[in-house]
Amino acid sequence: MPLSEFSLNPGFWWLIVGIGGLLALDGVSFPQTMVSRPLISATLGGALMGRPGGGMLVGAVLELLSMRHPPYGAAKYPDTGPAGLVAGAAYAAVGGASIQALVAVLIGGWATGWAGSYSGHFRRKLNGEFVADPAHLAARSQRLEYRVGGALAIDFARGALITAGFLVPVALLAGLAAATPLTGGGAAFGAAALVTAISASIGAGARTTAPDVRAWAMVLLGALLVIATLWRPL
Amino acid sequence: MQSLWNYKTLIGPGVTYAMLPLLRRIHAGDPVRFEAAVRRHLGSFNSHPYLAAVAVGALARMEFEDASDEEIRRFRTALRGPLGTLGDRTIWAEWRPLCLLLAITLFGLGASPLLSALAFLLIYNVGHVWVRVWGFRRGWEHGRGVGRLLKEFPLERLTERLWPVTMFLLGAATVLLGRAVVETAGRSAESLPLLLVAGLTAVPAFRWPNRFGRLAIGLLLSIPIIWTLLAVASGGP
Repeated sequence: MPLSEFSLNPGFWWLIVGIGGLLALDGVSFPQTMVSRPLISATLGGALMGRPGGGMLVGAVLELLSMRHPPYGAAKYPDTGPAGLVAGAAYAAVGGASIQALVAVLIGGWATGWAGSYSGHFRRKLNGEFVADPAHLAARSQRLEYRVGGALAIDFARGALITAGFLVPVALLAGLAAATPLTGGGAAFGAAALVTAISASIGAGARTTAPDVRAWAMVLLGALLVIATLWRPL
Repeated sequence: MQSLWNYKTLIGPGVTYAMLPLLRRIHAGDPVRFEAAVRRHLGSFNSHPYLAAVAVGALARMEFEDASDEEIRRFRTALRGPLGTLGDRTIWAEWRPLCLLLAITLFGLGASPLLSALAFLLIYNVGHVWVRVWGFRRGWEHGRGVGRLLKEFPLERLTERLWPVTMFLLGAATVLLGRAVVETAGRSAESLPLLLVAGLTAVPAFRWPNRFGRLAIGLLLSIPIIWTLLAVASGGP
């Protein structure tokens, strides 16, 4: 899709921004049903733009790229709700069928996720101020309830702001990328590099899941079975 | 539960918030004891957010049984480690990846995005909600004795048996996703050797996860740079 054709209805923009806020809430605060996972949020973004399949492809790749960042304790990890939504919506908005756009939204989504993560870091510090005086909170328990409500509102606003800030730039980036033809072996290089990046990420991420190195026999079995039974010339 | 999560008291305020209705009933008519109970639980506490339900139930039971301040404090200290590591190990490291990889594999095999997404949400959240309900009920039933029960956490036993499936789906999903990427690039079947070589990157990545994790992002960022260089080399688009 030519860059000049990209447009976003203002009402629709507000809808996506609001959904981004809700997805940010789901990631940590409430209810943690994992609609904030990139697989779901990117599919939702793609569906809003008419291409859920494109959104899910983006979400699946983002999912594997973020496997090595589990949310243990105080660890920083990408804010995947707004990131997936922005990336999936942007990819679908520009047609959802080019390697250039795919790479662009993955980079944009990754940047969105880490911007969200750093904003979450400040949110956590702010929360510390909210509960700094336990005696004051305990004296009237409704104060704790108000603080919870305030914290939820702040988290929603944070996610909405991140979505608002990145949605149009990532979509424009994707449009620019999609409109730029590749020369030489660009497409082959892009596919190879992306697949290598995915493989490296799942290998790194599998350390959090695999009980020991023997697990790799099962990984290989799964890969070989798919290759042997489903592979066909493209 | 984690809306007020912060670096000092961690999930403590969230657990206290969840306990408020119970504490109001337990200490009804005694505002002094109610206030002391709220203040007691606002301290630092760590737990996986789903397994915090165990703490909510058990601590409420101890309040109901009029346990001493010191006893509750020691119990909280003893419980925070297991609830954190058990949840991280079972849910974040096993259950969630298993459900996600199942959905990705379904999508890669041709299932609709809606079906794949719903499959993940349904299967994952059956486990999620079950953990919360199980945790709260067992916490209330067993009170200070709930620690023994955590050694027999049913979801942990299930995921310990299912790890080969997770690993199998990891291999399958990676190849299916790689194939989808190759199709998006409009490449042909000779890409297969390329994919196999790329796939082998996963092996050393397991040994050096941090280096290869950074390599993955570096590769992603390098793609547009190489494209630009190729375009310049061929005289521009």
